[in-house]
Amino acid sequence: MDKAAKKNSWVSDNGIWVVLIVLVVLASIATGGKFATVGNATTLLTSESVKGIMAFGVALAILSKGIDLSTGAVAALSGVVGAALCQLEGGSKLWGTSTMPAIVGILAAVAIGVFVGFLNGAMVAYLHLHPFIATLGTQLMCRATAKMISNKPVSNLSDGYRFLGRFHSGAFYMIVVVFLIFCICLGFMLNFTRFGKSIYAIGGNDQAARVAGINVEHSLVKVYMWCSLCAAVAGVLLGGRTGSVDPSTTGLNYELDAIAAATVGGTSQTGGICRISGVICGILIMGVINNGLVMMGVDDNVTNIIKGLIIIGSVAFDMRKNRVKV
Amino acid sequence: MKKRALTAISLAAVMAFGLVGCGSSAASTSTAASTAASTAAESTADAGAAAVDASDIGDITLIMSSRDQFLSLVEAAATDAAKEMGINLSSQDAQNDVNKQLSFIETAKNAGQKAVIVNMVDPTTTAQCIEAAGDMKVVFVNRLPENLGDLTDSAVCVSSDERQAGTYQGEFLANYFSEQGKTDITYVMLCGVLGLTNTTQRTDFAKSSMADNGLNATPIQADLACEWDRAEAMNQVSTLISSGNVPDAIISNNDEMALGAIEALESAGIALEDRPVVVGIDATADGCAAIKAGTLSMTVFQDPVGQGAGALQACVNLITGAALNEGTSFEVDADTGHILWVPFEPVTADNVADYE
Repeated sequence: MDKAAKKNSWVSDNGIWVVLIVLVVLASIATGGKFATVGNATTLLTSESVKGIMAFGVALAILSKGIDLSTGAVAALSGVVGAALCQLEGGSKLWGTSTMPAIVGILAAVAIGVFVGFLNGAMVAYLHLHPFIATLGTQLMCRATAKMISNKPVSNLSDGYRFLGRFHSGAFYMIVVVFLIFCICLGFMLNFTRFGKSIYAIGGNDQAARVAGINVEHSLVKVYMWCSLCAAVAGVLLGGRTGSVDPSTTGLNYELDAIAAATVGGTSQTGGICRISGVICGILIMGVINNGLVMMGVDDNVTNIIKGLIIIGSVAFDMRKNRVKV
Repeated sequence: MKKRALTAISLAAVMAFGLVGCGSSAASTSTAASTAASTAAESTADAGAAAVDASDIGDITLIMSSRDQFLSLVEAAATDAAKEMGINLSSQDAQNDVNKQLSFIETAKNAGQKAVIVNMVDPTTTAQCIEAAGDMKVVFVNRLPENLGDLTDSAVCVSSDERQAGTYQGEFLANYFSEQGKTDITYVMLCGVLGLTNTTQRTDFAKSSMADNGLNATPIQADLACEWDRAEAMNQVSTLISSGNVPDAIISNNDEMALGAIEALESAGIALEDRPVVVGIDATADGCAAIKAGTLSMTVFQDPVGQGAGALQACVNLITGAALNEGTSFEVDADTGHILWVPFEPVTADNVADYE
């Protein structure tokens, strides 16, 4: 590649960061500097952490040329079970059991997530169902199961269970740490493991990947297990942050926001293309829009129109970029 | 190659324009608000409590749990009141998402606002909302906190007392039957979603106020759980009628279920004068029409304007340090001192014209 081409490819790969910076500058000016404070930055990060972790999950599914629509419902199901196990005595308790240690609730939530992910992956890999349909089915089932477990919000949760979602000291927020841990995990998987490389290969061309000796089915199952694991942790964090898990509304439509963030971050719906830096940027852009426009007092319907424009614009840009590459 | 860079730049430009566009529209709203402020100040300068300097109040964010029919009226009332007082109120829809609601509260705090009005998505998250608000004053509107002990001097609630709605139903029935010289009647109760505070309080207080007013009312069977739903109420009441059990009164937790019961009575072919007396709550448009038609005897109006405008006034009072009910005609809750009760109003054929 000659020098000019290299430079241009850098611009198109990182153009999304330019958009982010422009948005941040504009929001700062429009709010008279109130946007660009440490306090507001932490608010932005804590607000977006939950959806961000879901985006880290679904990005891997999209990279494998799939999708996962069940994540919001998995967060609700895992969240309800985890929260119900860690409800404090007194008040209306869902289950008669004594309050479990936080780790039991969290592990139960994660176990449910991994199990649903296994089902999703198995349906996609072995039954060859389209991921859209397979995960739509589990979405309905998980949401309904959560509502069967409790018909009202599960609240009055133990401090231990709420630690991950709520603990903060100054500008240090535990929920952001969890977000960063998932970020590092995904970045490491994508860039330094055979598993990560094989997902790129499967997303690019699964037949070629198979010929190259990659166990496509195993890898796909793992992809969906990771995705649902992220969703389950998101459910635990939501319970911790809000102190209540409502089976009918917790995580509702979060899967779509997560998909949007991953997509804005340059994760290609045609598979095989995903950069961790892009996904982070996508999450932050959504955060800046959510937070900045609210701070400016913009009507929330207008906010959603802008979000829609940015999603469409970024995908249009992405398709153009990738077409040129081919 | 150049094209790609060009696309990147033009895309950034488009997004930037989007933001700037909104920025200016927000700015123009606030100008409009301040223009309204000056005119409002002139017209209400001698109104005492209403003449608050809007610049002391600053911006206020109203965070709605969602925008259903009733809540939209509350929101519109608060917005109108803000315009009149010259306060720049922006409203956000949390779309039934607690996480989003908390983020909106924190964002308002970061913007340096002095107060926020919250219509809670989930009444069990009161403490979390107050924590997220930090030093800001919080006014909860419409939905009461699950735990009233969470309210403080700087976190109050403006709501209507569900117990009062039930009481009005009971009083009406006692009155109605005593005029006919009856003291012993039978009834059936149509309940909303069981376990919810408003279902429980409306039900319990309708029953107790009948007894308190000297009406000896006997349920012909256990309360029917109809989930606030017209079709469900129609089915259950139809079953009741076909079993030959027609009570003297049908008491419903809301108008929708009362209308379902009326449908059931109509399809069973029972003449209007032979029907049980039906009472509801909400004074919906359909409910008021039924009162005019004579099929529904009474309903109870919940006041969205009182709640919306009352919440804004409470906000101003918290900031200026005035008494919670200053500038309103509402009463402060005697037990907690942190709740402003917006009264329900009974609606019958006599006054239904006022509520259409």
